[in-house]
Amino acid sequence: MSHDQLPPADAGDVRAAFTRRNLFRGAGALAAGSMVADAARSAAAAPTARLEGTLEIELSINGAAQKVKVEPRTTLLNALRNHCSPPLTGAKLVCDRGSCGACTVHMDGRPVYSCMTLAVDAIGKKVTTVEGLARNGELTEVQRAICEHDGSMCGFCTPGFVMSITACLERKSDATLDEIKHACAGNLCRCGTYPHLFDAALAAGRALRAKGGK
Amino acid sequence: MSLDPRPLVLQEEQPPRPAAPGKKWVKSVRVQNGIDTEVWEEVDIDSGSDGPTWGAREDLRLLNHDLRRIDGPEKVTGRAVFTHDVRLPGMVYAQVLRCPHPWAKIVRIDLAPAQGTPGVLAAVVLEGEEVKWLGRPIVAVAADTPEHAEDGVRAVVVEYDVQRFAVTSEQSQAPDAPKIAGNRDNVRVHETDGELAAAEAALAECDAVVEGTWRVPVQHHACLETHGVVVDYRGGDSATVYASTQGTFTVNNDAARELDLKGAQVTAVVEHMGGGFGGKFGLGLEGDAACKLSKQLGRPVHLLFDRASEFLAAGNRAGGVHVLQAGAKKTGELHAFVARVERHGGVGPGSNQRQPYIYRPAVSYAQVKSVLTNTDSSRAMRAPGHPQMSFAMEGLMDDLAYAIGMDPLEFRVRNVPPDRRADYERQLRLCADLIGWNSHPHRTAPDRSEGELKVGIGFALATWGGGGRPECKVEVRLLPDGSVEVYSGTQDLGTGTRTYVAAIVAEEFGLDLAQVTPHIGRSTYGAANASGGSTTTASLAPAVKHAAWNARKQLFEHVSTLIGVKPENLRCVGGRIQDVNDPDSNWIGFKDACAAVGGKGISAQGEWQRNLASSGVGGAQAAKVRVDTLTGEIEVLHMVGVQDCGLVMNRMATRSQLNGGMIQALSYGLFEERVIDPDLGLVLNANFEDYKIAGCKEIGLVQAVLDDGDNRRGVIGMAEPAVVPGQSAIANAIMNACGARLREMPLTSDKLLMALRGAKRG
Repeated sequence: MSHDQLPPADAGDVRAAFTRRNLFRGAGALAAGSMVADAARSAAAAPTARLEGTLEIELSINGAAQKVKVEPRTTLLNALRNHCSPPLTGAKLVCDRGSCGACTVHMDGRPVYSCMTLAVDAIGKKVTTVEGLARNGELTEVQRAICEHDGSMCGFCTPGFVMSITACLERKSDATLDEIKHACAGNLCRCGTYPHLFDAALAAGRALRAKGGK
Repeated sequence: MSLDPRPLVLQEEQPPRPAAPGKKWVKSVRVQNGIDTEVWEEVDIDSGSDGPTWGAREDLRLLNHDLRRIDGPEKVTGRAVFTHDVRLPGMVYAQVLRCPHPWAKIVRIDLAPAQGTPGVLAAVVLEGEEVKWLGRPIVAVAADTPEHAEDGVRAVVVEYDVQRFAVTSEQSQAPDAPKIAGNRDNVRVHETDGELAAAEAALAECDAVVEGTWRVPVQHHACLETHGVVVDYRGGDSATVYASTQGTFTVNNDAARELDLKGAQVTAVVEHMGGGFGGKFGLGLEGDAACKLSKQLGRPVHLLFDRASEFLAAGNRAGGVHVLQAGAKKTGELHAFVARVERHGGVGPGSNQRQPYIYRPAVSYAQVKSVLTNTDSSRAMRAPGHPQMSFAMEGLMDDLAYAIGMDPLEFRVRNVPPDRRADYERQLRLCADLIGWNSHPHRTAPDRSEGELKVGIGFALATWGGGGRPECKVEVRLLPDGSVEVYSGTQDLGTGTRTYVAAIVAEEFGLDLAQVTPHIGRSTYGAANASGGSTTTASLAPAVKHAAWNARKQLFEHVSTLIGVKPENLRCVGGRIQDVNDPDSNWIGFKDACAAVGGKGISAQGEWQRNLASSGVGGAQAAKVRVDTLTGEIEVLHMVGVQDCGLVMNRMATRSQLNGGMIQALSYGLFEERVIDPDLGLVLNANFEDYKIAGCKEIGLVQAVLDDGDNRRGVIGMAEPAVVPGQSAIANAIMNACGARLREMPLTSDKLLMALRGAKRG
């Protein structure tokens, strides 16, 4: 059911709890991680804080501290795109519910869906977005390989694939085609760039190994 | 207003009359909103002979080679700004409230609760009377953040008088069905070709007759960037509209009307756009709403559909039912053919689906009707009507071939139109070589043996117009510092337009690709056609070439006096302009030549040149699948596409488009289907979990091959044919693997198991 079929959300309405962001409101706010298990563990160990209104929080994004004003329900994706200065619009809002991967960013080195991560859950974590990969204007091996192999058409899915492939090759630069497909199984592309993206990922792996990567 | 697909007009066999003296007839493609229309056009025999030519293919340095996209670095670093990414001072975010019923009269709308919600700045009614399809936007709300806009949408109170509806073809054709379009019938017969009695008599003359009912579901475009605009109107006499659109010039005039401005006072901007596939033309309901809000607030309004709206209110590919009966003679002649076709286009008529597709029976009869339902109207979608027609016709062709014990590839070659046989045969045989057909053990009958894992191969063909039209105006500027700039209002949908625009000019001046800067996607630049029906490249590339050629002529006039060589003896080679008779000692650097021109440099215009474009493409594809007859699992191991498209601009980007066509067809064939609950009328899968598109793990080996056997000199578009045959080839491969004919997409495990049970019983 789409949410415009639900009545107005207010605190007294139990049905409001069925919208995803209200479900998470408060529960995972100050938990150690965004995983449900972590949230449950810390909820059992400590009293749950209930966050309301507008909060000013500090996030670590691409190596710099940034203060942003968000609501408890604001996703990390919306915080990056709408509340950062300048706005970080590389991560894309596509499905808004963790099924397409276009919003993928790294949090403490791990790829996460920023549309399924609350901004408040990113406090104390190191967030890297697609804008934070290239240093001094020099493309990374993954970025360069995608350009060389035409792994991007309309380009809307591209930042998500860059982040997924980068995380995969940082773990294992000699990832096989199947391992690359597995690492990108959470990313969708409608133009159908997959074959050229796979070529690019394998080529980037080779380049990283030549530079002495893992 | 949503766009109603217009009828596909297939070419007539012959021109309407003999050509006048000094004239000849040529086939041209006319396209409206992605609908391909082929017509005969009378032109001067010598037109274009004095203008530019592409030259010999072996002389090209950049065109017809693999070129890296010049906007690649922007896209891989996140710097590329799509409409979704536009951020302006004072900008507000808007969303829409959609009608939750398939048919309802609107009794009352109360905006006050929304207007009182924190952060909400404005709310406007888009539809206050009656809605005939679920998902139609009725209210738009703008707020300071997207979250507050969602709150505002939820707070709107609407009282509906829900009507009885028809969301399926069966409901729509029931005797007591509600009439969806006033007093007219829900079913309309669009055309009837041929004599039924003659076709039935011909069936009786055949050695084998097959029949079946093929069903195609409604497919969504599923662009990753949803439909939408950012309207920047802060009062006064100018406005800018950033749009995710396939036509820069389809937006500004409609926006001007909404804003009470003149067309020229509104600038449309399409810097990067995240996929269209035929569904993004015009301002749309979402654009109307953003204009209303921006006008009311005097602030920039960002209204990009959320994902559910994209599925429910942004169009789709029409579904259909094709009831076919056909007969062949033992000699391999497709002799008799009877088709009854139903188009399912929601509240619209649906894109055209005619039969027979591509192949030519000796005697045929076909009737096409449309059935209205209370669902969102279909729109043009990449090769409107063709994949539907292909799925039914190509399945029928294989069934007939097997019925007379013939190789389906040979049966195809035998029955394609004679004037296109050589091209299709070359393409089919190349597919066969690459996919391993010639050593495949089951070429004249499906493998009906016992066994768990079975491998099969299938084929299918495509056809499209893909020609150009005289709609583009291009400017090339050479500045005194040696920089080269190209200007055209056209848009790049991800096809690589921006790159080949620069490449054509760089080729003309003997420069590197990076030395030319293209400027596109702005309605203040030269006019350009919308990207529909694979017409962009064949319309734009000739105009770019013409502008570059004119600029070079002007530059040569200056250089001629500088180094004392006649203009016709000058050549651009490797950053120099040199004397063809003394290239090593008599030359001037390109930059020095531009500096010598002085003043404002050179500006040259270009228009479409008929001799630089061609039209009419085919294309063949093959698929190899493995089916598990115990679980019904279907895995596509390998797909091959061989595509002609005249002179290729950028080989790598063209292979990308061919890959993309095959993958979209695979996705359509195996996964995609809009699901509606017939009793409640609700769409059940308006999201990316339940509406599945192909991902990394569903892609086997995909092999895109450009058909260099096509030696035409002109440029032709190829986006559409690439998406036509894939699902048909997959269905045929399944049949070849195990003898199960699946006539309903998506081709899922349950259907395969049911068909195998039926085949065993039968």
